[in-house]
Amino acid sequence: MRKFIVLAIMLVGLVTYGQTAFEKGMGKAMSLWGEGKINEASAMFERIATVEQDNWLPNYYVALVNTTASFTMKDKTQIDALLKKAQTALDVELKKQPNHPELLVMQAMIHTAWINFDPMTNGMKLSGPVMELYSKAEALAPENPRVVFGKTEFEMGSAKFFGTDIKPLCAKAEKAIELFATFKAETAFHPSWGQDRAQAMVAACK
Amino acid sequence: MKQVLLGLLVLTGFSLWSQSEIKGRIVDQKGEAILGVNVYIDGTYDGTVTDTNGVFSFKTTETGVKSLVASFLSYESFKKTGNVQTLTNLTIKLRESVNALDAVVITAGTFEAGEKARISVLKPLDIVTTAGAAGDIIGALTTLPGAQTVGEDGRLFVRGGEANETQTFVDGVRVPQPYSPTANNTPTRSRFSPFLFNGVSFSTGGYSAEYGEALSSVLSLNTIAEPVQNQTDISLMTVGVGLGNTRKWEKQSVTFNLNYINLGPYQKLVPQKLDWNKPVQSSGGEVVYRFKFKNGLLRAYGAFDISNLDINSEDVNQPTKIRYALRNGNSYGNLSYKGNLSKEWFIHTGVSYGIGTNKISIADDRLNNTENAMHLKLKLTRSLSERVSIYGGLDYFYTDFDEKYTEASGREFPVGFTNHLGAAYVESDIFFSKNLALKLGGRASRNDLLDEYHFNPRASMAYKVYTNSQFSFAFGDFVQTPNADYVKYNQNLSSERALHYILNYQYNKNGRLFRSEVYVKDYQNLIKFNTLRPQFNSQYTNGGSGYARGLDLFWRDSKTIKNTDYWISYSYIDSERDYLNFPNRATPSFIATHTASIVTKHWIDKLTSQIGFSYTVNSGRPFNNPNEGMFMNGKTKAFQNLSFNWAYLMTQQKILYFSISNIFGTDNVFGYQYANTPDMNGQFQRRAITQPADRFVFVGFFWTISADKKKNQLNNL
Repeated sequence: MRKFIVLAIMLVGLVTYGQTAFEKGMGKAMSLWGEGKINEASAMFERIATVEQDNWLPNYYVALVNTTASFTMKDKTQIDALLKKAQTALDVELKKQPNHPELLVMQAMIHTAWINFDPMTNGMKLSGPVMELYSKAEALAPENPRVVFGKTEFEMGSAKFFGTDIKPLCAKAEKAIELFATFKAETAFHPSWGQDRAQAMVAACK
Repeated sequence: MKQVLLGLLVLTGFSLWSQSEIKGRIVDQKGEAILGVNVYIDGTYDGTVTDTNGVFSFKTTETGVKSLVASFLSYESFKKTGNVQTLTNLTIKLRESVNALDAVVITAGTFEAGEKARISVLKPLDIVTTAGAAGDIIGALTTLPGAQTVGEDGRLFVRGGEANETQTFVDGVRVPQPYSPTANNTPTRSRFSPFLFNGVSFSTGGYSAEYGEALSSVLSLNTIAEPVQNQTDISLMTVGVGLGNTRKWEKQSVTFNLNYINLGPYQKLVPQKLDWNKPVQSSGGEVVYRFKFKNGLLRAYGAFDISNLDINSEDVNQPTKIRYALRNGNSYGNLSYKGNLSKEWFIHTGVSYGIGTNKISIADDRLNNTENAMHLKLKLTRSLSERVSIYGGLDYFYTDFDEKYTEASGREFPVGFTNHLGAAYVESDIFFSKNLALKLGGRASRNDLLDEYHFNPRASMAYKVYTNSQFSFAFGDFVQTPNADYVKYNQNLSSERALHYILNYQYNKNGRLFRSEVYVKDYQNLIKFNTLRPQFNSQYTNGGSGYARGLDLFWRDSKTIKNTDYWISYSYIDSERDYLNFPNRATPSFIATHTASIVTKHWIDKLTSQIGFSYTVNSGRPFNNPNEGMFMNGKTKAFQNLSFNWAYLMTQQKILYFSISNIFGTDNVFGYQYANTPDMNGQFQRRAITQPADRFVFVGFFWTISADKKKNQLNNL
C-alpha cells in the first residue's frame, strides 16, 4: 500500500512536471475558449505568443478565436476590432512561414469574415484572394482536410448564389470527411477542427 | 526514495511560497474602467484580463525585476518595470491610441477612395460602376462636390479653377499629360485604365506641402500593389477591343493592358452632330511591374498611346467648316519605391518621364509641339512617436516645351521654353490626443525659368467633437507656373498664386457619411493678355486676380435601403476672375453656380445584376454676348443628364454590360461661340456649343480567364 502511494505521488509529480509550461498554458487557454470566454482565451494565447516566438500555434489561435467570434457578432465596430486583431496576429506568423497551409486557410477565413461583414464592398474585392489562398494551400497540402473543406465551403456559397450545380461540391465535402477520418494532428494543440462542419454540409446536400 | 519525495514536496512548497499577487485597476484618461485589458508579466504566461470594473488580479512565481504590461486594442500599451513585489496595487491610466479606427482624421479638402483610407468617400469600385462615368476615373470624380461638370471638355475643373490647376500623380510621381487631347469642344478622357489602380485620393484644396505646382487640386492615383492571380481579360466593345494579362510570381508580378478604340462603326450607326472625316482612333497600352523587397515595394508603370482624329469643325467666323486633324503620341513611364529603412524611417522615392507630341493641322496651317517632362522625388518620413511624425522631401521638375506653327505660305513661328523647378518641403503630423490633430508644414521652391523663389506655408487641423463627428480646418498657400500657352511666348512672368481657407464638418456612422465644406479661395497674379487669343505679340502681365467661395455637401448611404448604395452631392459656388483677356471681373464660362448629382447602385440577386443611375444637373453657365454691353452677361439654360448602366453577370467570369448616357436626350448647350466681327446688321452671329450626340450607348462583353474561375471584370466597368 505504502509503495503504491509513493508511486502515485511520484506519478502525479511526474505528470505535472512533465507537462511543460507551454502545454499548461495552451490547455488553460483552450478551456477558457471552450467556456466561451473569448477575450480571456485570446489574451492567454497572446501572452503565450509573446514568450513562444518560435511556435506558430499561439498566434494561430489568437487569429482563430477572434475570427470565429466575429461570425456570431452583430456590432460592426466590434467585428472590425476582432478581425483586425486576428489579422495582426496572423501577419506575425505568415511573415515567418508564408507557405504554411494552415496559416493560409486561416487567412482565407479572415477574408471570408470580411466578406460576411460587408458583402457589397468586400465580396468582389476578396473573393479572388480567398480562392487564390485555397488554391495555394491545396497545392501545398492536398490531403489536409481543412484545406479541402474550406475551399469547398467557399465555392458552395458562390455556387448557390449563381445557381450552378452543387453536386461536385457535395462529393468534395464527402472526400473532406474521409480526409478528416485519417488526419492526425501533430500534437494535441495542432489544428484539428472542421469535421463537424463538413458533416453538416454533407447532410445539407442530401 | 524518501529524499526524492521530500525534495519534490519542498520544491512544490517553495514555488507556492514564492508566489506574489499582482493587483490593480485600469482606467482611461477620464478615469473610467476599461474592460478586457490584457495584463501580464512580460516574457511569461502569467497574467489576466480586467473585469467590468477595470480590476485585475493574478499570481506569479516570478521574482526580481520584471515588466508589467497592459495592452488593449485602440489604446497605447503601458509598460512598467520594477521589482515584482512593487508591481501591485497600481492604478494604470491608458492613453487612447491615435491609430484607432475612430480617431480624428484630417479631412479638410480631401476625398479618399481605397483600402487604406479610414473614411472612404468613394470605394475603389465606384470609379468604374458609376453610371455615366464610362469607366473614366475623372468621370466618376465629377460626381463629387467641388468638381464642375464641363461636358464639352471632360477634364477636372475644381472649385472655380481651370483644368490645368489640377496636378495628377501616379504612385506619388507627377504625370505631365494626364489627358488625351481632342478637338475643340469634344470631351476628352483621362489616360488611365481603372483596371490598374485601386487607390484614389482627390484633394479639392488645402493639400499637404508634399504637393506643389497645383493651384486648385491634386489627384493622386495608386497602382495595385499586389495583383491577386494570373489572369487574362478580354473585352469586346461597340467602340473597340481590349486585352489584359497578369502574371504573378513569388516576389514579382506584371500586368499589361492593351486597347484599340475606333469610334467609326459606332458613329456610322448612330448619327453624330459632328462631321468626322476620320473618327477618333486610338491604340494604347499600360504596363505595371512590381517587385516586393523584404521591406519595401518597387513599382514601375508605363503607358503609351497614339490617337488620331480628323474633323470638319464649325466656326462661326468662317463661311465653311474648317478641317482639323490631330495626331497625338504620348509615352509616360515612372519608377517608384516605397519602403522602410528602419523601424522609424520610411522612404518614398521615384522618377517619371513623359513625352507628348501633337501634330495638328488646322485647314492649311500646321501646329507641331512636343513636351518633355520629368519629375524626381525623394521623401523621407521619420516617426518620432506614435503621436508625432515628421517628413520632408525634395522635388525636381523639368519641363521642355517646343512648338512650331507653320502657315500655309511656309512661314514658321517657333516658340518654346525649358524650365527647371526645384522644391524642398518639411511637414509634421502631430496628434495631441485621439480627438485633436495638427498638420503643419511649408514648401520652398525655386523656379529657374521665371527666376523666382517661393515659400508656401500649409496648415490643417482636425478636432473630434463627438464620437462620429469632427471639424477640420485647412489653410494653404499655393503657386503654379503659368500655363505653357502663355509661357511659351513670354517668360517675363511670375507664378500664379492661390490661397485656400477650408472649414469642413464630417459625420460618419455605420455606412452613412455626411460631409459639408465651406471654402474661400483667393487668386492672385493671374495671367492677363490684351488680344483675342494668346499670341506671340500679345502683352502679358500678372495683373489678374479672382476669388471663389462656396459650399460643398455630400451624403452617402449604403445602409438604409437593402442592396442599394447611393450618394448625393451638391455644390454652390460664387466665383469671379479678372484674367486672360477679360475687360473686368466676371464669372468664367466653366462655372455653374449650382451643381448637384445623385448616383445610385442597386444589386439584384435574382438577375445577378448591378444596375445604376446617375443624374446630374447644374444651373446655366455664363457666356459673353458681344451684342450686349455687359461682359459675360449671358446664361445658358440648365444642364441635365440622366445615365443608366446595367452589368449582368452571365457566369462568374462573363459579364455583359450596357450603358446609356442622357436617356432623355436633353439638348444641352454648354455655351456659345460668337463671331469676332458683327454682320451687316451690326449683330454678332453665334453658334451653340452642344453635345456631339444626344445619347451615348455602349455595349460590352467582358471575359476573364483565370485558373480559379472566380474573378471577373466587374471591377473594371
